[in-house]
Order: sequence, then C-alpha cells, then structure tokens
Amino acid sequence: MNEIKIKSKNLNVFYGEKQALFDVNLDLNEKEVTALIGPSGCGKSTFIRCINRMNDVIDICKVSGSIEMDGIDINDKNLDVVSLRERVGMVFQKPNPFPKSIYDNVSYGPNIHGKGETKSELDEIVENSLKKAALWEEVKDRLDEPGTSLSGGQQQRLCIARAISVNPEVILMDEPCSALDPIATAKIEELIDELKKTYTIVIVTHSMAQAVRVSQKTGFFHLGKLIEVGKTEKIFKNPDNKMTQDYITGRFG
Amino acid sequence: MSNEHTVKSYEEELQYLKDSVIQMGSLTEAQLSDSMDAVIKVDKDSTDKIIQSDEKVNKFRSKIDTQIMTLLVKRAPMAIDLRETISALKISQDLERIGDLSKSNAKKVKPLPLDLPEELLGNLKRLGDLVTKQLNDVLDSYVNQNYDKAKEVWKKDEQVDDLTFIAMNSVIDFLSKDKKNLDFSTHLIFVTKNLERAGDHITNIAEIICYLIKGEYLKGHRPKGKETEV
Repeated sequence: MNEIKIKSKNLNVFYGEKQALFDVNLDLNEKEVTALIGPSGCGKSTFIRCINRMNDVIDICKVSGSIEMDGIDINDKNLDVVSLRERVGMVFQKPNPFPKSIYDNVSYGPNIHGKGETKSELDEIVENSLKKAALWEEVKDRLDEPGTSLSGGQQQRLCIARAISVNPEVILMDEPCSALDPIATAKIEELIDELKKTYTIVIVTHSMAQAVRVSQKTGFFHLGKLIEVGKTEKIFKNPDNKMTQDYITGRFG
Repeated sequence: MSNEHTVKSYEEELQYLKDSVIQMGSLTEAQLSDSMDAVIKVDKDSTDKIIQSDEKVNKFRSKIDTQIMTLLVKRAPMAIDLRETISALKISQDLERIGDLSKSNAKKVKPLPLDLPEELLGNLKRLGDLVTKQLNDVLDSYVNQNYDKAKEVWKKDEQVDDLTFIAMNSVIDFLSKDKKNLDFSTHLIFVTKNLERAGDHITNIAEIICYLIKGEYLKGHRPKGKETEV
C-alpha cells in the first residue's frame, strides 16, 4: 500500500447549526484513487471540499479536527490557501471552462501562480497538460477557439488539463462524469487510471460501477459519518458493515 | 433500514434465481436417489426414465444461465447479490455434473446380473445413501443459508471417501473370485467412482455456500478419506 498523502483526524464540519460531518477519520493514499460513495447529502462532497479549503468561502462553515497533507495541518492559519489550491486541484460535476480560449483555460493557472514566465514555457505547459488530459490530439489545431465550443466530454478533459497545469499533488473530482455520455465517461476513467501514476486522486461518484472501475480504496458515507472504508474490491464483494451492503446493493429505503 | 431492494423486480429476480437452483437441486436429488435404487435393486425397467430425466436437469441449467446473464446485464449485482448470482451459476454447474453421473450410473444397470452378492450391494447402498444425504443436506443449507450445516457437509466428504474405499474393495473381491465377473465389475467400479465424484461436487457446493454466506473461502485442505488409497 502506498504512503498516506492526506490524513483526516476527527474531522467535524458545521454549516451554522447543522453538522455536516461527524468525526471523520480517513486516510488517502498517495498515487491511488479513493472513491467516496453515499446517498446525496451524506457529506462526501463536504469532505473533499475540506481538502482544498473550499469551505473557507462559506461564512457559516466551521471546521474542527484536522486534515494533514504530508503531515502538515492544512487548516493552519499560517498556511497560504492559494498555494494549497495549487497543490490540490479540483474538477467539478459539470464541466466549467472559463469563457476563454482553450489555450487560455490551461495557461490561466500557471499564469496566476507565476509559472511559465516566457511564452514558450507556457506553450510547453499547455501542451503537456493537454497531453496528460488526453485532449491534445483533438484540440492542437484550434487552441484559440473558445473552451466552451468543445463537447461535454472534451470540456471536462479541458478542466482536468486546467487542474493539472499547475502541477498539483492531489486532484479532487466531484462526480466528474455525471454530465457525460458513456464514451466520454470511459475516456475520463481511462484518464484517471493514467493520472493516478502521478497524482493522488479523490473521486466522489454516485456510480458504484465507476467506483469499482477506477478506485483502489472506497469510503462509504451516510448522514455525515464515514461508515466504512477499505479496499474497493472488499467493499463491493463483501463489506463488513450492513449499511454499506444495503447501500451498494440498492436496499436503501 | 429495510432488507428488501428498493427495486422490487430486482428482489423478485434474485428470488426466482434462487428458486430455480432449489428446483434443479430437488430434481438432481431425485435423479441420484432413483439411480441408486435402480442399481441396488438391479431394476432394469426404471433406468430409461432416469436417463431421460437428465434432459430436465440440463434444461434447468440453461434456464439458470439465462437468468444469470440477464441479472448481470440488468442489475450489475454487488456484494451479497453478486455472491448470490455467482453462487447460483457455480452450484448449477455442479448439480448438472451430479445429474450426469446419476445418468451414467443408471446406464450401468442393464448389463448387471440379478444375483449380485448382498455384501457388495450393501456397501454400495451405504455409499449411495450417504451421498444422497449429503446432497439433501447441502441443498438444505442453501435454502436456509446455514453456514454450519454447509461446513458439516464439507467435512463429511471424508466419510464418502471411506465408504468408497470399502465399496471399491468389495467390487474387487467380487472380481477376484471369478474372472467371468470382469464385465459387471467394471460397471460397478464406475458406479462407485461416479458416487465418489458426485460427493466431490457436493463438497464444491458446500464450499460455494460457505463463500456465499460469509464472503470468504473455507480455509485449509479438504478432508480426505481412504478413497485416494484405492
């Protein structure tokens, strides 16, 4: 098993009075894919939003407990959240390219993080990122066209290229294929398999089959609690917890 | 939290699959028991019916295969449902093989003489009765999801091996008394060996049921009796 990249310890999250996560202890291994499953509102998206401190933008949100990345608490007041988000990229449910060209979508991150000082350096980052996102061959002759002109699947791969352009260590994916057709989904899944060689990946998904296909580890959340976590194969063949079994077999009322 | 699937038709499909395996099991059990009766009583009139009933067992197997393919495609079963589906596939394969072995034994009856030694028949009957009981018990453990009972069947295969050893020796004795018995004895050796192999298929089924219930394979080697020494 790979080294632990991210460790959450007794993580509690409150949105005002409402507690969204209860004492979540979850280790995410380096260069592995961890899938988070559970019914809507169970806290899985809240959990991944804690990893890049997306919850900071919500005033009423309070976080207690800790999340460590490489042993350092990411909620430390002295930690620069911009550099944290450079290290932890995110891809959302619906592809959301900037209303800019394909090229600018990918070069935007390196630009604001001060990477790629010359045009040729930036060209190289854009090309490499698009190659890693398995999109280069499809767009190399039309980098000036708007990102929004691409198909849904291509837009999502563009968003992945944008996320990896700043060379992050972790990529968070919140239902990245839910708006895509099966072929575009297959391409993203193939890409996830490739990306895990370089990055630590956390994916939230409602598709059990997708969790089985792409992940090595799976965590099941219910009502803000991490009910069970373990090797994906074990979780889907013979989970220890009855709630997990009821959920993955479709017995949840 | 309920134990039933949210999708009722899924629940029904799994139950229907399980029912098919149970029905196939009952049919196989009758086939095994009837074929042994025919052998022990040297009842040459009943064998055609037993041989024909193998068709029914085979048809069940095809039906179960189709049900499983549909379930896999439609439902992509997980965890206990996946184990239930795969177990049905494997159990039906073993049942079909037991059916084939019973059919093979029924075919051996016609050439047998009517005056076989009582001791030999007694030993064959004891083996046949035990194998039939083992099949009955393993099917019960499937119906009731009884892990301990399935494991008990698994352990008891040792006794099947021991009785095979005894039956085989009586056949060899019979053969050694008169060379004219060679033809009949060869048939009886096959009958004995077929019963022992049916016992192995029953042990397979017991292992599958243990896996179905607990999600892990039985540890350790299968119990082995004297049969291997023959």
